[in-house]
Amino acid sequence: MSRRIIHASLTLAVTLAVTLACSAGAQSPTKAPAPGPVKPAALPAFQEATLPNGLRIMLVESRRQPVVSIALMMPAGEAYDPGGKEGLASMVASVLTKGAGARSADQMSSAIEGVGGSIDASASEDFMNVRANVLAENAPLAFELVADAAIRPSFETKELELVRTQALSALQLAQSNPAILAQHFFAAQLYGGHPYGKHATATSVNAITSDDVRGFQRSRLVPAGALLVIAGDISLAKVKELAQKNFGSWAGKASAAAKRPSPPTRSKTEILLVHRPGSVQSNILVGNLTYAPTSPSYYALTVASRILGGGSDGRLFKTLREQKSWTYGAYSDLVRNRDIGTFEATAEVRNAVTDSALTELLKIERDLGTTAVDATELDAARGGLVGSIPLQLETAQGIAEQVGRYTMLGLPGDFIRTLRPRLAAVSAPQVLAAAKSYMRADQSLIVVVGDGAQIYEKLAKIAPTKIVNAQGDAMSPADLIPRVTALPVDITKLVARSDSFTVMVQGNPLGFQTQSLTKTESGYSYHEVTQIGPFLQQDVVVLFGNDLSPVSVKGMGKVQGNAMNVDVSFANGRAKGSSTTPSPTGMRTVMVDTTMAPGVLESDMVAVMVPALRWAPNAKFTVSSFDASSGATRQTTMAVVKTESITVPAGTFSAYRVEITGGEQTQTIFISATAPYRVLKIALTGQPVEFVLVK
Amino acid sequence: MRRLMLALASVTTLAMPPVRVLHGQDAGRIQLDTFSLANGLKVVLAPDHSTQVVTVNVWYNVGSRNEQAGRTGFAHLFEHMMFQGSANVTKTGHMSMVEQAGGQLNGSTQDDRTNFWEVLPSNRYNMGLWLEADRMRSLAINQANFDNQRETVKEERRLRIDNQPYRGAFLKGVTSPFDTGTCFAYGHELIGSMTDLNAGKVEDVKAFFDLYYAPNNATLTLVGDFDPAEARKLVNDYFANIPRAKEPPPVSCDVKFNAGEKRETVIDAKATLPALLRVFLVPEYRNPDHAALELLATILGGGESSRMNRAIAREAKAALATQVGLDVTGPHRGPSTFAALAIANQGVSTDSIDKLMSAEIAKVVASGVTDEELSKARNSKRASALFGRQQSLNTAESIQAANMFLGSPNAVNTDLERYMKVTKEDIKRVAQQYLRPDNSTVILIKPPEGPRP
Repeated sequence: MSRRIIHASLTLAVTLAVTLACSAGAQSPTKAPAPGPVKPAALPAFQEATLPNGLRIMLVESRRQPVVSIALMMPAGEAYDPGGKEGLASMVASVLTKGAGARSADQMSSAIEGVGGSIDASASEDFMNVRANVLAENAPLAFELVADAAIRPSFETKELELVRTQALSALQLAQSNPAILAQHFFAAQLYGGHPYGKHATATSVNAITSDDVRGFQRSRLVPAGALLVIAGDISLAKVKELAQKNFGSWAGKASAAAKRPSPPTRSKTEILLVHRPGSVQSNILVGNLTYAPTSPSYYALTVASRILGGGSDGRLFKTLREQKSWTYGAYSDLVRNRDIGTFEATAEVRNAVTDSALTELLKIERDLGTTAVDATELDAARGGLVGSIPLQLETAQGIAEQVGRYTMLGLPGDFIRTLRPRLAAVSAPQVLAAAKSYMRADQSLIVVVGDGAQIYEKLAKIAPTKIVNAQGDAMSPADLIPRVTALPVDITKLVARSDSFTVMVQGNPLGFQTQSLTKTESGYSYHEVTQIGPFLQQDVVVLFGNDLSPVSVKGMGKVQGNAMNVDVSFANGRAKGSSTTPSPTGMRTVMVDTTMAPGVLESDMVAVMVPALRWAPNAKFTVSSFDASSGATRQTTMAVVKTESITVPAGTFSAYRVEITGGEQTQTIFISATAPYRVLKIALTGQPVEFVLVK
Repeated sequence: MRRLMLALASVTTLAMPPVRVLHGQDAGRIQLDTFSLANGLKVVLAPDHSTQVVTVNVWYNVGSRNEQAGRTGFAHLFEHMMFQGSANVTKTGHMSMVEQAGGQLNGSTQDDRTNFWEVLPSNRYNMGLWLEADRMRSLAINQANFDNQRETVKEERRLRIDNQPYRGAFLKGVTSPFDTGTCFAYGHELIGSMTDLNAGKVEDVKAFFDLYYAPNNATLTLVGDFDPAEARKLVNDYFANIPRAKEPPPVSCDVKFNAGEKRETVIDAKATLPALLRVFLVPEYRNPDHAALELLATILGGGESSRMNRAIAREAKAALATQVGLDVTGPHRGPSTFAALAIANQGVSTDSIDKLMSAEIAKVVASGVTDEELSKARNSKRASALFGRQQSLNTAESIQAANMFLGSPNAVNTDLERYMKVTKEDIKRVAQQYLRPDNSTVILIKPPEGPRP
């Protein structure tokens, strides 16, 4: 004993450690240590100021590192989009940093990159934010760029059109993403006429003019109601000086926002089925409205949602995935909007178990509001929530983000400081009460995106079910069985041909496609070879008879290194075989053994028929075709939307712009406006990829 | 495609991308308290009470460089084994305990080291220490865990390397400047061979653990909101009675610079476009030339506005993507590599890519770089170091890197100076010295010949 003390007193770190080691004995603890006490958030005091023009400033001064984050937040989110111009706020945000003040888009990005910083702007449901992160010495540049972006954007036509193209691509891509589709329908139904229910469409994005963009910026990006949050290594005096210099002349008052209708109330659970023909799985979204952000129920419901579906520890995950193997994941979430929020639970499940999974999900949701949680589960949920908060507040950027968001939501200044102890204090009865009030399994809106032909009847047994297509048009149960529409094909125009396309990716030639149609003894053979960069190669042969009935489709290839394979034969009114093709969630293998109604084409044949159709300025054809990658028959529509002149390597042509809708993806093709009708260009959905005719 | 090379290199992480190793800072020194336990565990404490987060970070002085012929892939396999439970922690227990505390965790393997970390709210860092101690003392090594993780690693190899175009050829390429006879350490691939993995026995794994996953071969770093006295006591309580192992054998690596240009052709079954990789031999991390080489790599091939991308991809339209990087499979205590990669566009031969790439290198060798380029490269180095320093995990990784690659944890406070002192003359000189054709290996990556299916 005395020897240890003598050694320790030498204060040599190494010696002390050795000495302590002797005292440790051979025992090592077999249980993890108990947590230490939870402290309130250790944030420096917020310093506030207001410019004469009304701009509110908050500084979270932190001298830890010589960095500064600034975030300008304005009540100018998507909820302020005028009717018919949905997508405007997002478009404005995207163009703000593409040239402002005296700088072009390139000059702006090289100014910020040259000092190792970053800048970005974005719009959420309620707010528009412009943020920059720089080393402290470059704070003046950050203020200048953020102020330029918000107050003096150039809105060059070139940049605006680039942003519009990107927005349209993103929308097209969203159309083919069942999870996003589910969210759109869910918001629209739940919020009704309230702006949170609206979302951008190709029509609304195309309707936005440069005057709209300028008008929104002038009338909504104003100092009143805006908040400038600064976090990092800078003093209040310096912040005030820089803010006055860069934002001092900012003027304007927000024009009155349109009065927002109240969202509808719900007395019973209803299902909206979004019919997506050929879908092999269903996306389920269940939920209801909750409360305004200042509600005291926030803490208990946050704990309840973590217990229900906060991750791999949640009840939904444990039951639907681990116990039943019905899904890859099932989660719940709370959305906190300025007016009123939502509770949502989601699961992505196979067709065959859609009804069982939904019933089970509703049961688990209901349980949380009827039976109190036990201490172990409550501790785990509170522990995870309370523990994750300091991780979100570790950087100046994280602090600015959180402080700004909570302030804009109208929460009191001490919200972040008291969040940890308040969550830690949530009790089992409070969880029960919150779940009972705000997880209303029996007054829910349920959106299911999936193949109605396979799931409608089962869903209708759970709750009253309405059906719409992906465009939102109402459908009747009878519409779910695909009607076969014969194409008015002029068989004499279906002649042997051979076309070559170059594949352009972002303007660079990155591959090719060759198509050839040859006459065989008993019908036709169509052969298509595609190669795009290192990413994709495929070779497909389709055989079909003189009566246009498909005989077989065989394809092989690779996409991103993964083997693709399609091998389906058609005989005696059935399609049989298999396919392995890419899907948004990875390679997907489908075993095919299904009925083929007479008159249904194989999907590759649709484009083959183009020369044999009678094209005209308003021509519209509907065709039923079998898609081997989903193993289902679907209806697609080809409609001429415009006549325009286009130039491809094969020459300049007057062309019909044809939109093809109804499949999993929307496509645009261009067809020469005079016979023989040829496909001149194909634009792939949501990707900067085009096929252009060479010869 | 911007992060192409990083994506190609990062094959070793359990779940999340590896943390960028950052170095040095110019404001506020990190106060370090360094000591060792009797069993040889080196401990570095860096308290910082400005947040409520603590990173618990352990680096084991073992990576693929320690592997022997016939036993490649063990370092990475072992990283997986470390999440399979220990005497007092169940198979999925490590992850779920950290998640239930609101924390994050991961581990990764590089050529020179294997790391494990937990980022936790400060009132739970004690659990992070306990978890690390429990697996250092009593990892669950049994046939079932071994078989299971061996299959996982093989699947990872199939998915992330064998099934991806260019990746296998790239990883082979960065080992090609090293002769496996004189430098097996860096001459073989981190991911290991399927044959070796298949031949591995649970006894080999046990022996590997006993030799390398011992306190005398590890450094524990704590960064963040903890009380140093309490931390010392906890470290002692949990780690002090883990027995020391014998010292691992030293690693040697002999290379010859400027040994003449080597050319190899690799047929990549997954590739559809040819690509060219040129790998130069460069000195170890702590060498004074390293900083200039890193800034040179940024100027030549870091991002959209870099020289290679501008000249070969945007102007000549000859390449789909280009990238240049230093130490792409992690820093080395021995000789390392400087790699330039370009994937050819449709119809462009590897010869023309080779000429364009060589022309860009010749240009920098002859005329150096501009003031603007140097300033941008320096600024981005400095900014990323300082932004990174806000996070305890990045700080802990920087301290560990300083300890391993610069010889002392305290070097974390001075390393950035190396980069800030680099001049245009330095960059031109290192370009002339190392970016010589006779100091490089060229790998021509070609798609298979013949008609495609």
